[in-house]
Amino acid sequence: MKNLKQTIFYYLKVYEKFVSTSISVGVSFRTSFTLLLLMDLFFYFSTLLSVNFIYDHIQMIGPWDKNHLLFFISFMLGIDHLHMTLVSESFWELSHSIRTGDLDFALIKPANSVFSVFFRYFRPSTIINIFVVWTFIIYYGIQVKLEPLSWVLLPFLMFLGFFLFVVIEFNIAASMFWLKEGLGINFLRMQLQQLARWPNFIYASIARKFLTVCLPILLVGSGPIHFLYDYGKWPLILSMVAASIVFLFILKFVWRSALRHYNSASS
Amino acid sequence: MGHALKWWQTIKISWSNHTAYRMNFFLQVIGPALVFFFVKYNLWSSIYSDESVEIIKGYTLSQMIDYHVWAMIVGLLAKGHSALNLSEDIRLGRISNFLIYPFNFWEFHTASFLSFQILQTIIVSISICIFWSLGILSIPSASILMSGFLYCLFVSCFWYTLQYLTGLVGFWLEETWILRVILEILTAFLSGAIIPLELYPKWFVSILEWTPFPYLTYFPIKTFMGQNSELIASYSVVTIWIIIFCFINHIIWKRGIKLYTGAGM
Repeated sequence: MKNLKQTIFYYLKVYEKFVSTSISVGVSFRTSFTLLLLMDLFFYFSTLLSVNFIYDHIQMIGPWDKNHLLFFISFMLGIDHLHMTLVSESFWELSHSIRTGDLDFALIKPANSVFSVFFRYFRPSTIINIFVVWTFIIYYGIQVKLEPLSWVLLPFLMFLGFFLFVVIEFNIAASMFWLKEGLGINFLRMQLQQLARWPNFIYASIARKFLTVCLPILLVGSGPIHFLYDYGKWPLILSMVAASIVFLFILKFVWRSALRHYNSASS
Repeated sequence: MGHALKWWQTIKISWSNHTAYRMNFFLQVIGPALVFFFVKYNLWSSIYSDESVEIIKGYTLSQMIDYHVWAMIVGLLAKGHSALNLSEDIRLGRISNFLIYPFNFWEFHTASFLSFQILQTIIVSISICIFWSLGILSIPSASILMSGFLYCLFVSCFWYTLQYLTGLVGFWLEETWILRVILEILTAFLSGAIIPLELYPKWFVSILEWTPFPYLTYFPIKTFMGQNSELIASYSVVTIWIIIFCFINHIIWKRGIKLYTGAGM
C-alpha cells in the first residue's frame, strides 16, 4: 500500500514537470496560443450550430429532441476538451519521434513508457476553454432536467468515457511502430473521434454492433448519456468499465510488442 | 521547352512522393472523406426513418444522400493537401534551395499541387463508379459530370491559393497547422459541407453569399447535381477571389522573404 502511494506520488511529480515545461513552451508562442484557443471555440460553435440548424426543420432524431442531443454533443465536447488538453499533442509527436528516433529520450526516462510517451505534452491554451465547454454542459443539462445524482455522476462518467477512448487510441497508436510513416494513424484516430461524436442510435445495426462490441467507441459518449437519462441502462456503464479493462490488458501486450519492433532511427 | 520539362519532372517526383506511403495517403486523404460521409449517411437515414419526415427543405432522403456523396467527391477533388509542407520548408530553411534553383518555390509547390490533382481525379472517378454501382448515387448526364469536374478543379485552384497563404504565414508563425485547421473548420461549416445551405437560417445565408465559402462546396455540389443555374457567376466569383489571394500571397512572400533567416545554413 505504501509502495503504491509512493508510486502515485512519484508519477504526479513527474507529471507536474511535464505540465510546467509544456506551459513554458506554450506561452512562449503567444500567437499560436491564441489561435489554438480560437480553433477550439470555432469547433465548438460550428458543431452546436450545425445540430441547431438541423433541428430547425425536424422534431426528433431517434428518441432524442434538440436539447437531449445538444447535451450529448456538449458532453462529447467535454471529452474532446480533456483529450485536447491532456494527450492530443503527444499522439502527433509520437509519429514524428518514431521516424526520427527521438523516442529514445522518452524510453530512457525512469518511468512507464506509456506514461512518458502519451502524457508528455500538455496543451495549456485549451485549458482556458474549460469554462466555455462546461457552460454548454450545464446549460443543456438544465434544459434536459438532469437529476441531482446525475450532476454528481457527470464528471466521473466523463472521465470514464475519456479513459476508455484514450486506451483504445493508445492501442491504435501503437501500430505506428510498424509503419514507415505513422501520420496516417493519427488521422485514423481522428476519424474514430468523429464516429463517437454522434449517438449510437443513428448508426445502422451492423455498424452499431461493431462499434459497440468490437471497437467500443460508441460507448464513450452514448454509454454515459443513456445512463444519465435512464438509470436502468446501467449495463452500459458496466460495459465501459469492462471494455476499459480489456483494452488496457491488450495494450500491455501490444505496447511491449511495438517497443520490440522499434529500431531507433537515430542510434 | 526546357522549363516545361522541369514542370513535368517535378510533377512526376511529387506523384512518387504522394504514392510512396499508400497506407498513409489513404488514411490521411481518402479515409477522412469516407468516414465523414459514413456519419452523414447514417445521420440522415436515421432522421428520415421517422415517418413524419419525408422532405426537408426540398430534399428527400435519396436527394440528401446524393448531396452528401457529391460533398465527399467535391471535398476530395477541390480541397487540396499539397501545400501542407510549405510552412515546414520555410521554418526549416529548406527554401534556401529554391532561391538558387532555376525552378522557384511557387513553381515547385504548384507542380506538386497539379500532381496531387491528377491523382485525386483518378481516385474520384473510381469513387463515383463505386457509389454508382452500389446504387447510392444517381449519375447525371456526361455534360453535367464534366461541368462539375471542371468547376471543382477550378475551385481547387482557389483552395490552393488559400493554403499557400496559410503556409506563407510560416515566415512569422512557428506553427501554421492551427490556421489550416481553423480554415478547414470554418469552411466545413460555412460552405455547406456538413449540411445543405438551404437548412441554414435565411439571414445567415444572405451573409454567406458575400463570402467565398458557398463557392467552395455548395455550388460545386449543385453543379454536379445539375442545379447550378449560376455557373458563370460562380466562375466569376471564384476568379475574383483567386486574383485577390494571389495578390495577397505575392505581397506576403515579398515581405516574408525579407525576414527569412535560412535556418540551418
